[in-house]
Amino acid sequence: MKSKMMTAIVLIAIFIAAGSFTFFQEPKPWPVPDKYSKMANPVKADAASADAGKAIWAKQCQSCHGKSGKGDGTKAAGLKTHPGDFTQASVQSQTDGALFYKIVEGRDDMPSFKKKLPDEEDIWNAINYMRTFKK
Amino acid sequence: MKNYTNGNLRTFIKAFLIGCLLMVAKTGYTQTDSSKATTQDTTAVQAEQPKPATKKPVRNTFENMWILDNQTVIVPIHKTFQLDFMHRFGTWNNGYQDFFGLFGGINMRLGFNYVPIDKLLVGVSFTEYNLTWEGYAKYALIKQTQDGSIPVSATYYGDISIDTKEDPNGTLYPNFSDRLMYFHQLIIARKISDKFSVQIAPSVTHVNSAQGYLTGDTASDGSKIVGKSMHHDHYAIAFSGKMKLSNTLNLLVNYDQPLTKHITNNPAPNISAGLEVNTSSHVFQIIVGNYRFITPSRNNYYNNNDPTGYHGISSFLIGFNLIRLWNF
Repeated sequence: MKSKMMTAIVLIAIFIAAGSFTFFQEPKPWPVPDKYSKMANPVKADAASADAGKAIWAKQCQSCHGKSGKGDGTKAAGLKTHPGDFTQASVQSQTDGALFYKIVEGRDDMPSFKKKLPDEEDIWNAINYMRTFKK
Repeated sequence: MKNYTNGNLRTFIKAFLIGCLLMVAKTGYTQTDSSKATTQDTTAVQAEQPKPATKKPVRNTFENMWILDNQTVIVPIHKTFQLDFMHRFGTWNNGYQDFFGLFGGINMRLGFNYVPIDKLLVGVSFTEYNLTWEGYAKYALIKQTQDGSIPVSATYYGDISIDTKEDPNGTLYPNFSDRLMYFHQLIIARKISDKFSVQIAPSVTHVNSAQGYLTGDTASDGSKIVGKSMHHDHYAIAFSGKMKLSNTLNLLVNYDQPLTKHITNNPAPNISAGLEVNTSSHVFQIIVGNYRFITPSRNNYYNNNDPTGYHGISSFLIGFNLIRLWNF
């Protein structure tokens, strides 16, 4: 009787512990069409662009991707896919065009911003700001 | 009898023109305003060169279509659906007894808005006070451009409201048309800088049913002559401003001044201020002000919370606007 109770307690404790951690799916490869990979950023990466991009980041991106792009936003824990650490080379090595494609099209937890940001200059400004996360 | 309408119209036009002159004053907003550099990777930052201004519209004169109790010049982007949930608590008049109005009288509004074509918003709303339905439309006439070739943005807002509360004795609304009010507003705004925008919005409210009184005189046919305590048409003007405190937080201020002088029951002005938080899909505004009706025609025509009157600060109330946006 005592051992059965102990077993039940241990199982409940394991259940609670397992539910206390967030498990993200392994990130899937995200192929980008050549047209976008080779697309040049038409907006100069100057301070004004970074400022404008920062405003867009704060309103549209920060809640998931975090203030500094580390994927630690307030909503990140509720996502199936980790938002990614944009300070790392795995993201910073991508071209501006590739980032543009992913922002515009979206996938799974990442929404498409094609309609929410119809002015492409806003997206390019956000990308210029994302470059400032690079370590 | 003195013609109040022409005198009020002159006052209205003067106030409007003065406001327009202030609006187009060259306070130097251009897209080339220099900003403090925030970039960490200096290799990504090229030497600052003035960005050529374009004829594209300026961004974010205001963050959304509401500024406290008034409309802003903003029409959301094409195919946006917006849900408004607006709440006004009671005034601070009773102090702790109703916790400064939070547990007191309330008014609520649900609004449903859609932008079917570029620059045009249509909507319908339902407000608790008098069970008021509103149908409204808003059109962005001109937009301020980055190069200054168009110095202001201007939008027209039109609203029809209908009271649907019961009138079993037929004394409140003897005719169906007595339930209707109309509101027209021309909203003119200018983005002064990245942090500061201002707006001026003259309006006219028309009520079908105006309060009357027996003058004591009798007409030639023996009928008693009824005088009007209030005119059917009421002119007013609103001044609003936004100050950006951070990328997601704005300070909003607003003042509504009635212009028409009625014989009695003159509506009171409205002083309001609030904070606004913006995210990708939500806007939240917390308001302190005098307007409690939410319906613009009723606020302008019937506001009796007078911040300049006997009750002073007790005429204020707290409210909030909660907005959710979807893009299709």
